[in-house]
Amino acid sequence: MTDFKEAGFMYAMGLVVAVIVVAQAVFFLVKAWRRGKELGITVKDMKNTVVTSVMFSITPALSIVATVVALAGALGLVLPWVRTLIIGNISFETAAASAAMEAYGLGGLTSEVTDPEVFSAIAWVMTLGSMLPLVIIPIFLKRIQKKMGKALSKDTKWADVISSAAFVGLICAFVGRAILGQGNVDVSPEVLTDGAGVLSVTALVFSVLFMIILQKIADKKQLKWLDAFAMPISMFAAMGVVILVSQLLPPEIAFLEWRG
Amino acid sequence: MKKVKDYNESIHFYGRLWMVFILIVFIGVPLSMCVYYNAWPKPAAVLKGLLPIAMFYYPTAVVEVLTYAPLLGTGGMYLSFITGDISNLKLPCAIAAMNAAKVKPNSEEGEIISTISIAASSIATIVIVAVCVFFLRPIIPIITDESSIFAPAFSQVLPALFGSILTAYLLKYPKTVVAPLAVILIILIFAGQMSVGILIPIGVVVAILAAHLMYKKNLI
Repeated sequence: MTDFKEAGFMYAMGLVVAVIVVAQAVFFLVKAWRRGKELGITVKDMKNTVVTSVMFSITPALSIVATVVALAGALGLVLPWVRTLIIGNISFETAAASAAMEAYGLGGLTSEVTDPEVFSAIAWVMTLGSMLPLVIIPIFLKRIQKKMGKALSKDTKWADVISSAAFVGLICAFVGRAILGQGNVDVSPEVLTDGAGVLSVTALVFSVLFMIILQKIADKKQLKWLDAFAMPISMFAAMGVVILVSQLLPPEIAFLEWRG
Repeated sequence: MKKVKDYNESIHFYGRLWMVFILIVFIGVPLSMCVYYNAWPKPAAVLKGLLPIAMFYYPTAVVEVLTYAPLLGTGGMYLSFITGDISNLKLPCAIAAMNAAKVKPNSEEGEIISTISIAASSIATIVIVAVCVFFLRPIIPIITDESSIFAPAFSQVLPALFGSILTAYLLKYPKTVVAPLAVILIILIFAGQMSVGILIPIGVVVAILAAHLMYKKNLI
C-alpha cells in the first residue's frame, strides 16, 4: 500500500495552494512595479531589488527545506511542505506537530504517523495555531497604520530616526543571540544547534568585516552594482568562512558553544 | 498620476481580498484532508493540542502584527503575513533592498521597493523549496545532514545574514545600536534561552525609546 501521507491527492492540494500563493505575490509585484514607474523609480533599481531579494532568499529557503526534511520522517513530505507555503515558520511547525501528537498520547515527532485521524488532527492544530494574523490583519491593519501614520507624519526627520531605530532593535535581537544566546533544544534538536559559540561569532564578525570592506570598495570605485549586492555577498562569504573554520579547527574549539 | 492615497487604498482593498481568500484556502487544507481520508479527529483532541500552541502563539501573533506594521509597509504586510518566515527572511530582504536602493522606509519609494522585495523573495522561496523537496530529494539529506561539511554553515545562516545588515546600520546610525544591543545582551546573560520572538519586541521598544531621547537631546 502506498503511504497515505504522500497520496496523489496531497500533492494536488499542495500544488493548488502553491499556485494561489505565487499568484498573490505576482499580483502585488506587478502592482508595485507599475506604481514604482509612476513614481520615477528606475527599472534598474527595481530589477536590482528583485535580484538582491532572490539571492538573499536562497540560504534561508534551504533551511526551510531542512525543516521539511526533518518533519518528513513523521509526517511525510507533503504536509510539512504545504505548511511552509502559508505562514510557514520553522519553530512553530515543529511545536504544533508535537503538541498534536501528544494530545493523542503519542510521543513527539520521533515515530511515523500511521493513523489518518492523527494526521488530520496535526494538520488542524498547525492551521488553527497559525491563522490568527490572517484574521487580525484584514480587520485591523488599516486602523493601526492610520494611528501610526498620524504619529509619524508630524516630523519627518523624527519619523526617519524612529523607523531606523525599530529596524536596529530587531537586528539586535538576532545579533545578541549570536553572541550570548543559549541553544534552544526544544525547537529542533536533530537539525541545528543554535546556541552562541565560536561558529556563530565567526559568522557574525566575518559578515560585518566583509560588508565593511565591500562597502568601502563600492564607495571608492563608485561601483553601484557592488553597492546593491554587498549584503548577500557578505552573507555567503561569512558562511564560507564558517565552513573553513569548522573543517580546519579542532572540533572541540570550532563547535564550542559557551552557553550550551 | 495617481495619488498616494489611491494606491494605498487599493493595496488595502486587494490585500484584504487576497488575505480572506487565502484564509479560506488555508482552512480548506485540513478540511479536505478529513473529507478525503474520511478521518474526522475528535474536536477535544484538536483543542487539547491547540491549547498550549495558542497560549504562546496567539499573543505572539498580535505583537508581531504591531511590531512589523511600521517596518514592512502596507503591501509588505499583506504579502509577508501570508507566506510567513518574516523575521528570518522577508524583513531582512526588505531592509537590504531598501538600503541598496537608497530609499527610506515609510516613504512612498520605500513602500514600493519593500513590496517588490518581499514578493520576489516569496516567489523565490516557494520555487526553491518546491524544487529541492521534490527534485533534489535524494541529495537534500546529504547536504543538510549533520555530518556534511555544509551543515555548520546552515546552522549559522542568521548570524551571517544579520551581521551584514547590522553593518549597514552601524555605518549610518552607529549610536542607535548601543542601547538595544546592550539591553539584549544583559537579558541574555540572565535568560540565555529567551527566544528571538520575545527579544524582538523588547529590542524594538528599547531602540525606539533610546532614539527618541537622543533625538530630543540633539545627539542624532
